[in-house]
Amino acid sequence: MVRTPRSNRQLPQLLAPFATLAEGLDYAAQGVTGFNFYSSRGALQDVLPYGLLRRRALSTARKLLSLGFERGDRVAVVAETGPDFIVVFFACQYAGLVPCPMPYTMYIGGKDAYVERVAGMLRAARAGTVITPEDLLGHISEGAARAGAKRVLTFSDLQSLPEAATKLEPFRADEQAYIQYSSGSTSSPKGVLISQAAIAANTRGILRHGMRITQDDRAFSWLPLYHDMGLVGFCLAPMMGQCTVDFLATTSFARRPALWLKLMSDNQSTITYSPSFGYDLAARRINGDAPSLNLSRLRVAGIGGDMVRADVLQLFADTLGVAGFRSAAFLPSYGMAETTLAISFVDADAPFRIDSIDRHALKTEARAVPAKGETARSFVVCGKPMPDSVVEIRNDSGQPLGERRVGRIFVKSPSLMAGYYHNEDATSAAVGSDGFLDTGDMGYWLDGEMVITGRAKDLILHNGRNIWPQDIEWAAEHIEPLRSGDVAAFAVEGQDGDDDVVVLVQCRLQDEASIESLRHAVSAAIHRSAGVECRIVMVPPKSLPFTSSGKLSRSAAKQKYLSGEIAEIMQPVFLQAAQ
Amino acid sequence: MTDTVAEICKLLEPFNTVGTTLSPSTDISTDLNIDSVTVMDFVMEVEDHFDIEIPLNVLSETRTVADLAKVVEARTKKG
Repeated sequence: MVRTPRSNRQLPQLLAPFATLAEGLDYAAQGVTGFNFYSSRGALQDVLPYGLLRRRALSTARKLLSLGFERGDRVAVVAETGPDFIVVFFACQYAGLVPCPMPYTMYIGGKDAYVERVAGMLRAARAGTVITPEDLLGHISEGAARAGAKRVLTFSDLQSLPEAATKLEPFRADEQAYIQYSSGSTSSPKGVLISQAAIAANTRGILRHGMRITQDDRAFSWLPLYHDMGLVGFCLAPMMGQCTVDFLATTSFARRPALWLKLMSDNQSTITYSPSFGYDLAARRINGDAPSLNLSRLRVAGIGGDMVRADVLQLFADTLGVAGFRSAAFLPSYGMAETTLAISFVDADAPFRIDSIDRHALKTEARAVPAKGETARSFVVCGKPMPDSVVEIRNDSGQPLGERRVGRIFVKSPSLMAGYYHNEDATSAAVGSDGFLDTGDMGYWLDGEMVITGRAKDLILHNGRNIWPQDIEWAAEHIEPLRSGDVAAFAVEGQDGDDDVVVLVQCRLQDEASIESLRHAVSAAIHRSAGVECRIVMVPPKSLPFTSSGKLSRSAAKQKYLSGEIAEIMQPVFLQAAQ
Repeated sequence: MTDTVAEICKLLEPFNTVGTTLSPSTDISTDLNIDSVTVMDFVMEVEDHFDIEIPLNVLSETRTVADLAKVVEARTKKG
């Protein structure tokens, strides 16, 4: 087996001048570049040149149409990293069907949570058909049954269908492209509907203004294909620029983070991307092997998906400097599923910048005042908005703010989602009548570049994942004798800048043994559904604050916790002994 | 305690930062209070030690040390 070459010698490189994904693949298929897939032990497992991808996608499109779909019907497909998923995704483009990539992730003991999540996603997309790898058939069938989705097929079931004799009508420029699930809560996920126009505009911006792709580039990705960064950044955008990509499955990366660096060295990769935590994991796991690697050709080491952390970038640069890694390669960026993917990029040829500001002025006056030392907090500058988009940072009354004033970030661009699928309320809550998307993030301007300071929403960021507090609370409230409204989850800033998760639980129990067993049960439930370690704090009944409309106020609960107004009812054993 | 359970407990010990007594009924993620990234480290140790691969769908139905021992035994016999 031979991996696809770095570039096309015969075919001129075109950076996404295409109106649709199908048009992009029609062009890329004329060359020899494409996708390569590595096994969990680092061996080349599958090779899918764009030409072969197109042929398989056309054939699979006819097989899909033999099932009698109507144009625009949704087809959910488990986005395992490999040729099967990608073929089905593009088959949908040629068949005029809307693919909905679904997650392939689970925690140890996490089956129930996964099934529930799948069911929620199928309901949100109103998808009646799901395509899955063989090994998940049981889980997916349960989820489909819960959501009332009638048809579940494995990838091989699909391939054994006859090809319909109909003429294929690929999606046109004015039609939809796919549904991306946003990091919405498990109980009610939202499907972001992306149009052909939006994906065309965003991939053009990524290739031309963000990564500035050339014939010399070869990309590497372990990012999941059911996330916007993995799907758009490292599958659709490279295809729209005829760039070769080498893939390692996310699950393989999770087991052996250092394999990412080894394979990039072997492939002489020039572009990769990861949330901060990925660089952290890989730097810690490479141990003594760094000197044997050659990362000197890596010119874009993109960072996105979580708060970009300066200390992590430093650790990575220090550890991998011996392998020829240059910290100028770091490319901080900012984006989200609601804008297809990218909003801003730092200049790919310039080193990244850090801005240190006063914590107190940030919290109390919403101003970013330069500072040093203990009172300072450092943020990584995330670059200029892409040329075709308009970004405003607004105060609470909606006025656009100038330099170093912290406010809420709003975006208007051709890459904006068409809306949340069949969810008018959520769409109008996110996109105003002026056409600007409320990103829910806070930040400020610095010399025309954006600095992101955090989330305005209650979202918790943990190891590069967005966790909705509702998911944690919901899991905990299912434990007897807790009821709805007994639990509040929020993040507090940890020592290293990552979020620590605190869960306040209203506890009516009296004796120590039952309180401790409740604490354990709550922790276990949260582990199983959200895979996150929390600080569980038992608090007195009726101590959690609610808003006037009867909603739990997480921000007020957090304040009361930090000020000590709400505190643990059980004294830790060693303190009791001391008293 | 079977041999497999004992071996798994030995592999699990470095992750046992809370000092729980490991037994067949120990719930791997919740009793030890380790997060999902660390759990994968431990799973990898188990895979390397027994020279097997444990697919995610199987892992998602595995909770306790005894569950994991069953999975390991089924897969080592196969090989």
